[in-house]
Amino acid sequence: MRRVNVEDIFDLTGFAVDQEPHIVLDPQICRSCDHRGCVTACPAGCYTWSEEDRQMGFVYDGCLECGTCYIVCDKGAFTRWRYPRGGFGVSYRMT
Amino acid sequence: MRRSFEAVVVGAGPAGAAAALGLARSGVDVALLERGAFAGEKNMFGGLLHRMPALEAVFPDFWDRAPLERHVVRKSLCFLTGEAGFTVQFETGAFDRPPYNGYTVLRPVYDAWLAEEARRAGAACLTRCTVDDLILEGDAVRGVRVLRDGGEIRAPVVIAADGVLSLTALKAGLRQPRLDPDGMAVGVKALIDLPRPAIEDRFGLVRDQGASMEFVGCTAGVRGGGFLYTNRDSVSVGLVLHIGSLRDSGRTPYDLLNAFLEHPMMAKLLRGGRLLEYSAHVIPEGGYDAMPRLCGDGILVAGDAAGLCYATGLNLEGINLAVHSGLLAAETVAEARQSGDLSARALGRYREKLEGSFVLQDLKLFRRAPRMLHIDRLYGAYPEVICELMERVYRIDGSPKRRLGRLLAGTTREKVGLRALLADALTAWRSV
Ligand SMILES: Cc1cc2nc3c(=O)[nH]c(=O)nc-3n(C[C@H](O)[C@H](O)[C@H](O)COP(=O)(O)OP(=O)(O)OC[C@H]3O[C@@H](n4cnc5c(N)ncnc54)[C@H](O)[C@@H]3O)c2cc1C
Ligand code: SF4
Ligand code: SF4
Repeated sequence: MRRVNVEDIFDLTGFAVDQEPHIVLDPQICRSCDHRGCVTACPAGCYTWSEEDRQMGFVYDGCLECGTCYIVCDKGAFTRWRYPRGGFGVSYRMT
Repeated sequence: MRRSFEAVVVGAGPAGAAAALGLARSGVDVALLERGAFAGEKNMFGGLLHRMPALEAVFPDFWDRAPLERHVVRKSLCFLTGEAGFTVQFETGAFDRPPYNGYTVLRPVYDAWLAEEARRAGAACLTRCTVDDLILEGDAVRGVRVLRDGGEIRAPVVIAADGVLSLTALKAGLRQPRLDPDGMAVGVKALIDLPRPAIEDRFGLVRDQGASMEFVGCTAGVRGGGFLYTNRDSVSVGLVLHIGSLRDSGRTPYDLLNAFLEHPMMAKLLRGGRLLEYSAHVIPEGGYDAMPRLCGDGILVAGDAAGLCYATGLNLEGINLAVHSGLLAAETVAEARQSGDLSARALGRYREKLEGSFVLQDLKLFRRAPRMLHIDRLYGAYPEVICELMERVYRIDGSPKRRLGRLLAGTTREKVGLRALLADALTAWRSV
């Protein structure tokens, strides 16, 4: 059976991606974060930390709107955390 | 789009749809707002819909009417280690006839059905409608602002049924801004296509019978467990992982899920299956002590938004509590409207109704369950003890056998230690 590979999340789950991000974070705060729990805990792999550039990367396209990052981040890094505009974002068909 | 109603419900999950259904049936002009393109589009869960007598009272033909997958006749609990598994199983004919004890369902289908029933009863269902803020007059809620043409929808009372994060309850000042990562879990699930005959053969089922399996020891020591539920032509397989523990482990949910799916016992059950959809969602598992305030002036909170969900390790109950709380919120609003008083005090009847029902009674009964679920040995050492014990009991290798009691004492001592065992037993005893 095919493994769950979040690199190919668009083959696994449907999305209607909005132009405008529903989650925005302040990368400055992530730089001094002592756990970066979002990177490993996000079930869609939306967060990537580059140790070399000391830079947090975030893509909202494949976000499953699960809420884990909202809970795991205790540093107040989000300047915006809301759900996508109506009709946009993840679209489960069968689950 | 109409701009004012007698009541607004935020979120068309089980809690919201039930609330809108209840209000519409009492003749209240209610709007049910959902951010998805249809109710259920954004929703996932493990897969077990427990019996809901309150909904059966509304729909006496519930099991013929609702889009259910299979009724569950067999429940099992499996302790897994790297390559072994020990299963306890319960099955009864009593779960094989109406009123069925529980069903497997798929949310995009089930939630859409309940919202449609609310619409048929007279509720205005507005989809693609994300609520972004509340309209406040002083402290009193007077409606919502939606992310659609800067729209405002006014109503003298709002029911927040927007799920676990409830940004609506937050904006009404009913919950703390921080949600505790140790009281929340994330569920990840793979929906796997399997032909009907394969499901029936592998799980020993006939007709529309279904099986539910819970797993412990399959999370590499992270607090949580696994589940498998049989649908008609697919199975739902996934993990529930406590967020604090997951964060500390440095593991990712999908790597843990893949490892679970590849466990030799699971791989056999799922052989030839095709991955259909991957989904994830947070579960409130903090229990009674993690609940927010349930009402304010012009606002009530229902379902996951109110933290009405609990896990005991054997069962996860959420949808039934959501539906029941939604119906009680509707009842409270309908009564309060009669007296023309929608203040926090008048709406406080809602809490009394919940206290009088199984919702808060069960939540209180299992108040200490979160503490038990924080025993880390449950997720590694104990499954190992059980599987090792069983292996020693069954293994025949020419060496003399030992008494079961001694075997157990020996294995436990090696893996856990007596003092820890006693402490854990005490915690567990107090929780259930
Ligand atoms: C992995 C997993 C397994 C589970 N297993 C079980 C189980 O086996 N049995 C069981 O009974 N329970 C289970 N649960 C719990 C159950 O799913 C929840 O308790 C239940 O769905 C709660 O219903 P609700 O209506 O309160 O919230 P939700 O189902 O979350 O519904 C909230 C609705 O509000 C909408 N919404 C949110 N914000 C907005 C907004 N701002 N504007 C407009 N709409 C909005 C959402 O799109 C959604 O439709 C499980 C949960 C998970 C995650
Ligand atoms: S947990 Fe918060 S602060 Fe830390 S890296 Fe993630 S988003 Fe940034
Ligand atoms: S909501 Fe869930 S899927 Fe989306 S970015 Fe946060 S953790 Fe990842």
